[in-house]
Amino acid sequence: MTAETLYSIRNLTVEYDTRIGGVRAVDDLTLDIYKGEILGLVGESGCGKSTLGKGMMRTITTPGHIVGGELWFEGVDLMTLSELEMSNIRGNRIGMVFQDPMTSLNPLMRISEHLIEAIRTHYPRMSEDAARARAVDMVKDLGIREERIDDYPHQFSGGMRQRIMIALVLALNAALIIADEPTTALDVIVEAQFLDLLRSLREEFELTILLITHNIGVVAELADRVAVMYAGKAAEVGPVESVFLDTKHPYSRGLLKSVPNIDVDDQELFKMTGAPPNLIAPPSGCRFHPRCPRAVDLCTDDEPPLIDVTGDGHLASCWIYSDLPNRPTDGVG
Amino acid sequence: MHDPMLDEVPPEEQWQVDLGEVGLFRRILNGRRWYGVDWWMVVISSFMVAFFILIAFFPTILASYDPLDQVGPRFLPPGETPDQEVIVQRTDSDLESLADLAVRDERVRTGVVQGAPSSEDIRSQADRVNAELEAGGSDDEVRLRIVRFDTLDEMLTGVTTGDVEFGVGSNAEITAVLDDYPELFIRGPITGEKGGKSFPLGTNQIGQDVLSRLAWGSRIALIIGFTASLFSLFIGVPLGLLAGYTGGKFDRVFTLIMDSLYAFPGLILAIAIAAVLGPSIINVIVAIAVLYIPTYYRIVRGQTLSTKEGLHVEAAVSIGATKSSIMRRYIFPLVIPSVAIIFSVNIADAILTGAALSFLGLGLPPTTADWGIDLARGQEFIQRAWWLITFPGIAVMLIVLAFTMLGEGLMEIFNPKLRKQ
Repeated sequence: MTAETLYSIRNLTVEYDTRIGGVRAVDDLTLDIYKGEILGLVGESGCGKSTLGKGMMRTITTPGHIVGGELWFEGVDLMTLSELEMSNIRGNRIGMVFQDPMTSLNPLMRISEHLIEAIRTHYPRMSEDAARARAVDMVKDLGIREERIDDYPHQFSGGMRQRIMIALVLALNAALIIADEPTTALDVIVEAQFLDLLRSLREEFELTILLITHNIGVVAELADRVAVMYAGKAAEVGPVESVFLDTKHPYSRGLLKSVPNIDVDDQELFKMTGAPPNLIAPPSGCRFHPRCPRAVDLCTDDEPPLIDVTGDGHLASCWIYSDLPNRPTDGVG
Repeated sequence: MHDPMLDEVPPEEQWQVDLGEVGLFRRILNGRRWYGVDWWMVVISSFMVAFFILIAFFPTILASYDPLDQVGPRFLPPGETPDQEVIVQRTDSDLESLADLAVRDERVRTGVVQGAPSSEDIRSQADRVNAELEAGGSDDEVRLRIVRFDTLDEMLTGVTTGDVEFGVGSNAEITAVLDDYPELFIRGPITGEKGGKSFPLGTNQIGQDVLSRLAWGSRIALIIGFTASLFSLFIGVPLGLLAGYTGGKFDRVFTLIMDSLYAFPGLILAIAIAAVLGPSIINVIVAIAVLYIPTYYRIVRGQTLSTKEGLHVEAAVSIGATKSSIMRRYIFPLVIPSVAIIFSVNIADAILTGAALSFLGLGLPPTTADWGIDLARGQEFIQRAWWLITFPGIAVMLIVLAFTMLGEGLMEIFNPKLRKQ
């Protein structure tokens, strides 16, 4: 990979305190996001996708907290910044788009107030009128008529609200957008339009987007690279064609097979056995081994590292690709 | 890039859509049709509250007298006119009032009944007239020669025969026998005022007008109710907001304090504070305000806790909004409707507690015109003068009812989802 790294997560660990112990929602995770790419982050519910997104913004609230790790963004480790410096980066350089556009706008503030507030938070010296002009430009760019800018959020449809959320991010010059399941609450038509919008915005504004979703189809459609998360760890990371067509990690294979597909003739959908592990007491060794069809003793005892399988940035965290003598064999399927 | 297909209306029930788009007045008017709200509660109680506020601002609309002065006889029942001292004279007399006597040079012979109160009052009335004349720059002076009769009959006979110029006596007694003396008529009260005093709600044990005290008492009641509630609102709401949003130690400490305050029986706490601080209106307000701070604190803290979990707060954090801006602009406006409702109910409570404190003799200085004090004093005479406690009691009940109904009615209108189905 020759691309420049924009955001680099190094050994990030996020823990939620509960009465019976700490839950490591993100455990020692390392991931690079390259400038200008769309990175899809997939995984089943509860694997730590959203926590990772929030952790990258340092907006995790109690009972959760970041235990350790480094977050390198534009040459700075965000973990070393003060809360004030961090809130300057939030929105300004890193924006976030949330899952539910119905509730992520303040119901008592007009759309224009949202945008003006976002702009003036980071440019306090900009006049109200200038901020408004910029907000109007933004909204028009996103295909919403200018006269609707003084409406309240409830007067907007879901797709429009999601575009306003995007506008909030674009109104500032964010380099990275963390989109946390942005299309989950939208119907398929609006979803398609929204994804189109994201794609064209990337071209226009040279954005980098981290797309957190459990919708594999969206990732296949939109992303350049994909990261598969399992139980707080990255299971497989790689270019989207490579990961989808030549899947390396047994978990990713199961995940992809369990996506309904009209081309597959099978009457019954593939079901992965077992359930996601209890993150208070995760399994020893590889976290996937209790559910893995290929697991051997080595998987129970030791945790596999992320191994560059193909040499071109397709990483998988599985012993199959090590050169240890007691490694599991790579069967088909 | 604009696509009309994206503008589809989210599926909501019609009244929910309507609710979001209309103001308070249309909610009140259409509330019954939309979601069965009892709008009449708001309308009636608004009028009652407006009435009490009007009286509190302009007590003289109802009160004709100073509430602290003795203005009439003691224990006059409601609706009865008090006995007056009147001037009785011959029909051919040219005397219009006491002031007309001033131009006469000789002393005027005036008939009184020995021992009647009027025999004293006529002198003080003459003095009053003289003082007025002197103030007007006149050299004239009223000079009376008081002629004492043993009975009323003798006095009236004396007036008839011209033995005295005119007579002075009780209105009720003279009216009873006036038919026997066709040459005589009653000129009017010795004070010279047209018409007599009237006390629609009677007078109390020291001759004060019950209605006037009631009217001035509404001012005290509303001052206590409003300032005490505002005081606790201005302390309770920011604390609740801060504790709910920041959490942590601050939250724990304040919640502990507020819960301990809340655990006390309300009136007992107010009595204790008022007893320590001593009687004055400020101290009553402080005692009641302390009592109600936890109410605001708990409601606002709870609402803040649930509001701050909302995605729009998280979104505000992610655009880099500061904590104070999030509390001010993203949480406070969503919390304020429930505060407005408690405020109204709270005023009712505060008025009641204030009345209870002065009833117990702990609140206000004893000279104040206050309903609680009137109730406390009046209960001694309950068998003799029912009107002393009945009217202040009704006033307390009505004002509390008005504010409570207003609060409950507004709750239905602001928050129809809370309504029992």
